[in-house]
Amino acid sequence: MCCVTSSASGQTLFGHVTNTFFSVELCSGTIIMTNTKGYRRGTRYMFSKKFRTRGVIGLTKYLTVYKKGDIVDIKGDGAVQKGMPHKAYHGKTGRVFNVTKHAVGIIVNKQVKGRIIAKRINVRIEHVRHSKSRLSFIKRVHENEQKRALAKETGVPCQLKRQPQQPRKGHFVRSGGVEPELVEPVPWRFIA
Amino acid sequence: MGFVKVVKNKAYFKRYQVKYKRRREGKTDYFARKRLVVQDRNKYNSPKYRMIVRFTNKDIITQIAYARIEGDVVICAAYAHELPRYGVKVGLTNYAAAYCTGLLLARRLLNKFGLDKIYEGQTEVDGDDFNVEDVDGQPGAFRAYLDIGLARTTTGARIFGAMKGAVDGGLDIPHSNKRFPGYDSESSEFSAEVHRNHIFGQHVAEYMRSLEGDDEDAYKRQFSQFIKNGITADNVEEMYTKCHAAIREDPTPKPKVDKQVTKRRWNREKMSRAQRMDSVKQKKASHKRALEAAGDN
Repeated sequence: MCCVTSSASGQTLFGHVTNTFFSVELCSGTIIMTNTKGYRRGTRYMFSKKFRTRGVIGLTKYLTVYKKGDIVDIKGDGAVQKGMPHKAYHGKTGRVFNVTKHAVGIIVNKQVKGRIIAKRINVRIEHVRHSKSRLSFIKRVHENEQKRALAKETGVPCQLKRQPQQPRKGHFVRSGGVEPELVEPVPWRFIA
Repeated sequence: MGFVKVVKNKAYFKRYQVKYKRRREGKTDYFARKRLVVQDRNKYNSPKYRMIVRFTNKDIITQIAYARIEGDVVICAAYAHELPRYGVKVGLTNYAAAYCTGLLLARRLLNKFGLDKIYEGQTEVDGDDFNVEDVDGQPGAFRAYLDIGLARTTTGARIFGAMKGAVDGGLDIPHSNKRFPGYDSESSEFSAEVHRNHIFGQHVAEYMRSLEGDDEDAYKRQFSQFIKNGITADNVEEMYTKCHAAIREDPTPKPKVDKQVTKRRWNREKMSRAQRMDSVKQKKASHKRALEAAGDN
């Protein structure tokens, strides 16, 4: 059995109510006011178009070709309401596993509580972009192929692996007429 | 009139978002373009061809193009100013000329891709329904979609004449009869006869006859070029029939002739920095001299 009370608060001037506040109270006496579950709740800024980018969407977005296995970024575009990704996927990057007439199917990783699930979502083209994360790798692969071909021709062995930054070699430094001052740590001495 | 706030102040310009360039120029309808040009994603890179028809005051431009990010690629074009080569020297923007231009575009394209023997199109022009059908065992018909641009779709518009020319030439362009001349909207009936007459310029011939009968001077003024080229009302149909035949025989475009052009400037070249500095120095010196001269007097 739950009772619904309505309390009118706020100044009552000349018999006319300016402010009314309604609350639902359960038997236990606590007020439940959790977050609403609206699909696009909290996306006021996320899905808004940025300054001076409103209106017609450029055709490049519609002309880019997506193939299975492509790595894509998901970014919801508020100008197109169909096929929008849920706000949880905005900014995520995934892999294309399916291509339909106007949309792509993307496999994205989503963290749910303590685990990560590989989820499959369908997103329209307007909310998707090619990710540049893969580009540097692809570029390096092509360069390596060339290096390998060159090395095969000339017989000079080629270095294909990326090297981390090595310690600096010995070199001369100009001191500008200033005598160098040797700075050393003070030897440790026990102090009571 | 009291104080009126300046609308176009600094804040206005800071916030103003310009429309796309071609929209500002009033040349492209992006709503239509998106729907014409965009290909289904699961067809990847296969081109979606469109037949572009544009009318200027003195010319007709028809092209077949497909869209790419770098810019649309035009694979074939035909202009009304090429028609003198096929015997049509006057009336280059009328319905009949539009038909010829469309026909020229279609035959040229099919010739280019080696499809002209397979898809002859409608050789006996009768203005009636004709839709190209795929021939079994051979490459399919060339499909393109009509791109009108900003032109208004009215019944009897010349744009559709160009399209009819292309269809009769052998291109597969989905269309209906509703906007051809000869379609009666009240009774929803299409008269192929009327359409055929338009294709052969009979409406022009009729006007020539009526003007000739009524007002000689107006006739001479309106059809001066026709008269100069010896085209009478009775010749008109023959002229276009010959044109159709000539187009079907040799639609290949004439190779471009490189013109030798001597470079000419229409405005003054900009001065270099040294020249500008020197010019200022000279002006200062002459001004100083003038002041001294005035001081002496």
